[in-house]
Amino acid sequence: MKRNLFALLSLLVLASLALAACGGAATTEAPAEAPTEAPATEVPTEAPATEAPTEAPAAEPTPVPDVPIATYDGTSLSVPPEECNGDYAGLIQSVVAQDDHTVVFTLCRPDPAFLSKIAFNVYGIYPSEWIEATAGDGQRTSEGLEKPVGTGPYMIQEWKRGESVTLVANPNYWGEAAKAETLVFRWSTESAARLLELQAGTVDGIDNVGPDDFETVKADPNLQLVERPALNVFYIGITNTAAPFDNILVRQALAQGIDRQRIVDDFYPPGSEVASHFTPCAIPNGCVGDPWYDFNPEAAKALLEQAGYNASNPFPKIKVYYRDVVRAYLPQVSNVAQDIQAQLKENLGIEAEVVVMESGAFIEASTSGSLTDGIYLLGWNADFPHVTNFLDYHFGAANPQFGKQSETYTELLVQAAQIADPAEAEPLYVQINNAIREYVPMIPVAHGGSGVAYRADVINPQASPLGTELFYASDPGGRDTFVWMQNAEPISLFCADESDGESLRVCEQVTEALYSYEINGTAVKPALAESCTPNEDLTVWTCTLRQGVKFHDGSDFDAKDVVATFNMGLNIGSPFHVGNTNLWEYYDYLWGLMKKPGK
Amino acid sequence: MTETQQVATLDAEAISIQSVSLWRITWRRLFRRRSALVGLGILGILVFIALTAQWLAPYDPIQSMRDVKDYPSEYIKRRLPPCIHLFGCPEEQPQHLAGLDGNNRDEFSRLLYGTRISLWIGFSTVTFAIVIGTVLGALSGYFGGWVDNAIMRIMDVLLAFPSLLLAIAIVTVLGPGLTNALLAIGIVSIPAYARVVRASVLSVREMDYVSATRALGGSNFDILFRRILPNALTPLIVQGTLGIATAILDAAALSFLGLGAQPPMPEWGSMLGAERNQVFTAPHLVFFPGIAIMLTVLAFNLLGDGLRDALDPRLAHVS
Repeated sequence: MKRNLFALLSLLVLASLALAACGGAATTEAPAEAPTEAPATEVPTEAPATEAPTEAPAAEPTPVPDVPIATYDGTSLSVPPEECNGDYAGLIQSVVAQDDHTVVFTLCRPDPAFLSKIAFNVYGIYPSEWIEATAGDGQRTSEGLEKPVGTGPYMIQEWKRGESVTLVANPNYWGEAAKAETLVFRWSTESAARLLELQAGTVDGIDNVGPDDFETVKADPNLQLVERPALNVFYIGITNTAAPFDNILVRQALAQGIDRQRIVDDFYPPGSEVASHFTPCAIPNGCVGDPWYDFNPEAAKALLEQAGYNASNPFPKIKVYYRDVVRAYLPQVSNVAQDIQAQLKENLGIEAEVVVMESGAFIEASTSGSLTDGIYLLGWNADFPHVTNFLDYHFGAANPQFGKQSETYTELLVQAAQIADPAEAEPLYVQINNAIREYVPMIPVAHGGSGVAYRADVINPQASPLGTELFYASDPGGRDTFVWMQNAEPISLFCADESDGESLRVCEQVTEALYSYEINGTAVKPALAESCTPNEDLTVWTCTLRQGVKFHDGSDFDAKDVVATFNMGLNIGSPFHVGNTNLWEYYDYLWGLMKKPGK
Repeated sequence: MTETQQVATLDAEAISIQSVSLWRITWRRLFRRRSALVGLGILGILVFIALTAQWLAPYDPIQSMRDVKDYPSEYIKRRLPPCIHLFGCPEEQPQHLAGLDGNNRDEFSRLLYGTRISLWIGFSTVTFAIVIGTVLGALSGYFGGWVDNAIMRIMDVLLAFPSLLLAIAIVTVLGPGLTNALLAIGIVSIPAYARVVRASVLSVREMDYVSATRALGGSNFDILFRRILPNALTPLIVQGTLGIATAILDAAALSFLGLGAQPPMPEWGSMLGAERNQVFTAPHLVFFPGIAIMLTVLAFNLLGDGLRDALDPRLAHVS
């Protein structure tokens, strides 16, 4: 009897230990699964026709699942045209294979950024048979997640989890053949460790040289440094739904009370600049309108006083939220957080506590607008080089990450996004930028330059502003194997349903979209399409496909594969609309999934 | 026959006289050990620094040099190596004995304030663990039976985990922060004390004077806390001194991992952790906090060893 009792007790203890261990494991693994720049899933583009009522949400009923509205028959994917003016918020009305080598995209609204978007590797084309075969049940099969089949210069050979991804050159590649026979991706989160490997010659190139190591790399005759242009922004987000941040005076005080130049001088590598606007100047219409406030602590203090905070009514203690993840826009997170903490105290007399959060939880909390008791440090890397990629995502009416958005700019954004000619759209963007400056939904701090280092004998070293290096074009000093070391392991290689840059860079070598970005640049050039030409009002884009292209599995590339790929990404009713996380962030965010809200 | 037993058989008055001289003997033995003296010396200096940090430190430990009034900004360089006038640093440049850290703060001031935090961590966690551990161990050893079984099995479970891992688990549940880290380290060090106390209580409770007290009608409480415990404390002192070293080391490890002290608090472990990537570019920022931790732990270990030797009656003839 007694012995049984003991056995039971020890079993219980064992079980609880196992549970605790599993729980712990889940939390530690979470960062890997966190999307990096995570466009929050339901956030963007679904701007309702009428301005959403902001405060006092009605008692929430049980969520009704979205209704699929698309039809797909193998050569054509479409939603009924009348839905474009109805509840369907997406952009694409139909994708039709006119013949084997012609695909026509019909849009609900004009889209000036169509080519910039279509060149994004997330929209890489897969063979239609492969899409069907790897669909799996609820999640893509491991074959689908780990061994994508594309048309690119490299093919996946092996992914040793936790160690490396090995790719081999595609012998049937339609374009210029890869210089190195084998391409290996490795990773290390520590910049010092990456540099050590490069110095030891065990890797040929490393991403994100630590800001303090720029000089070391430049001084080393065996290494070369390539500076990556800043196509990103680091901003201090402010969620304006709760006191004290619901007061515009407080936000304006913060905007003037933080010395941004000091942050850039102290914590950013050469090539970085203080952000005069949210969007970098390299992007047309990015920095039109008045530049950001100058640093003026006296004026800031006066604003706080005006907002009712003084010695007898001190400003409440706030939090500075961040995640300890290195990005080009924020290379030294924890130092910057502590500097902001010190500045708040010194310049404005505001007590702050720094709170480091797990990456996934941080992205979720910040982008959903739940960090109301403080400010948060986040940034944005350009997905495609167009001003809408910066402004529409962050300041669209439906994005809750800054709390309530101001109508002074949300409505203008919708108008401006329908003008193709940057010169014509400029007056609108002047107004938009000025309105954002006035309203202060966030404080743009810096456009962070970053550096990529290679061994000195690497020919055609790359540092793409979009982070999409195409290694087939680089020659590792005549060696057969090119080894690249980046910040982190890919999450999955089914990039249609990924948003993590470290994953996308691997996919970039394997799959190709209709267009691509030129090497080390942001301009688009034809890839699987020979050309895509719009009609006059930018709503119909006719793409002529490249002929004679073969997928890695030997099948021919044709228009049906394009339609099947978009069906997989957009059509929520399709049995093949199955990915890794099933968030389809970029399909949803840049095009809008083919669905309407259930009734 | 041990001294304790001799002491125990004497009458009450004799006990007090004898025990004073016992402590005197212990001190004398301790002072005869050079290593223990070194430990005591370092500890003395550390305590002095901790008490006077605000006067010794040239700068505010959490203030950036950029926020210091009239500080010549041309000399502000992140992770500046030590600038010591005596060793040829230009006179016009402000002196920084240990350089600047990644946030332009004076590393030397942070190190001094760090002493305060580390000593506080050591003493508070060990006190916590000793109090709880002593009570548990004493109850366990004195009453035996199922009480003993229950308490010691729980202690066994705690001991079955690597202590740092268990501390990390506890902090993960409670949330990061210095207080939670202290609690976690306190909890994981309880079993060591509970075991030590239980063992000595087990040996002491069979002594004649305890039986005598019992025969005189002393209550359990009286016997345990007034007769047994005072005579079972010597191993605890040794264990406690050594335990402080472990606690400081564990706290530094937790802070290094970002689970303990939160920025901008100048805790050695977190200072080390924040600059671990700069081990080649700014070695001073890793070296100084590391040395500080090493010296403190060394001091407690030397002292603990010395105390053990001094308090161990079996070694009496050696000295």
